[in-house]
Amino acid sequence: MRKLNTFRANSSGQLLIVAALIIALMISSTTIYVYELDKGAGYSNSPTFADFALSLKQSTRNVMIGALANASNGGYRTVLSENLNHFSDLVRRLNQFGVCNLTCSLFEDSVYDLGIWFSWNSSDVDVSGAYADFGLMIDGFASRVSVPYAINATTSLASNCSYVLEGTEKHVNVTCRLYNEEEPALAKSIVVSYESAGNWIQISGTTIDYDNGTYLISITVPSDAAQVLLNVWDSRDIFVQAKHAL
Amino acid sequence: MRNENAGQIRIIEAVFAVFVIFSAFAVTANLPAAQNTSRTNDLSSVGLQVLVKLDSDGSLGRNLDQENWTVLRESLNLALPAGISFNMTAYDEQMHEVNTAVISNGGFGSQEVSFTEYICASRGLTLKCYVIHLCLAVTQ
Repeated sequence: MRKLNTFRANSSGQLLIVAALIIALMISSTTIYVYELDKGAGYSNSPTFADFALSLKQSTRNVMIGALANASNGGYRTVLSENLNHFSDLVRRLNQFGVCNLTCSLFEDSVYDLGIWFSWNSSDVDVSGAYADFGLMIDGFASRVSVPYAINATTSLASNCSYVLEGTEKHVNVTCRLYNEEEPALAKSIVVSYESAGNWIQISGTTIDYDNGTYLISITVPSDAAQVLLNVWDSRDIFVQAKHAL
Repeated sequence: MRNENAGQIRIIEAVFAVFVIFSAFAVTANLPAAQNTSRTNDLSSVGLQVLVKLDSDGSLGRNLDQENWTVLRESLNLALPAGISFNMTAYDEQMHEVNTAVISNGGFGSQEVSFTEYICASRGLTLKCYVIHLCLAVTQ
């Protein structure tokens, strides 16, 4: 018993060191655990990663807008798939976050053909639109992330036409409202023509710009003019056409 | 002799124990890399956000198409927060440098330089893509 007490008394300092070592080990392991946890979370939820996906989405939108502008100005509808495939090839070369792979699926239904929809010369609203679904897959160094998104680029033109017949002339007022993705948008150019005796004749009239995507165009045409044609380009160079009977 | 020195030995042991615990704190405090990475990530994030903002109306691609390097430099100067140095380089798809002028607002005074890569697709009727490398640093 006395020996045990002597042993305890002699070993109390060593126990202190052992206890200190255990405490040091606990402090180190806890700190390293928290550090690793932060590091892991920092990678997968890094704001830069979210911004990276957002930036690719922005670039994809630009590709679609450019392709729609091309197709609406007389290009082939296939330009959309060609440009998107080209862009996907470029995205594959990025490796800031890992191996990137962008897949796209062009929307197809009764109005969309190869992801593009043109509805011109209808009664009220005329549309040039493009729609596609995308899947961005990033095989990162630590994780695999998939970001699905859809892009819709649409220019629509709502217009109405009225006229007053005075002698051998018709005073025509055309009101246009231009939208980009259902938001009011400014026009880059508006060209007005009328049809007379089977010929289309370009005419310049008075245009009032309300600076909110609304335009009032006043023209005077011969009384035999049968139709008025509006050719409108928005600020993105996307073309849309409207036709009104007089 | 042993009994006489026992008190001193225990003090030495206690000091050693305290040293062990403090060394644990000292070792774990030497993990600032995560904070630095986070700060660099923040700067990269700012750079990417600015490029996305400039590209949101297609002006970034348009200025690259038209080789408006001065306009690009001024746009970045305005869009980035004060106190940040930048150096932008634009490459074509074959990674040939396209900017013939330096797009920068001065030298980097900081050792912490963040890097941002961005693919810019211009909205022209013919598709043109650029790879933009933007380096940012906090001005000291």
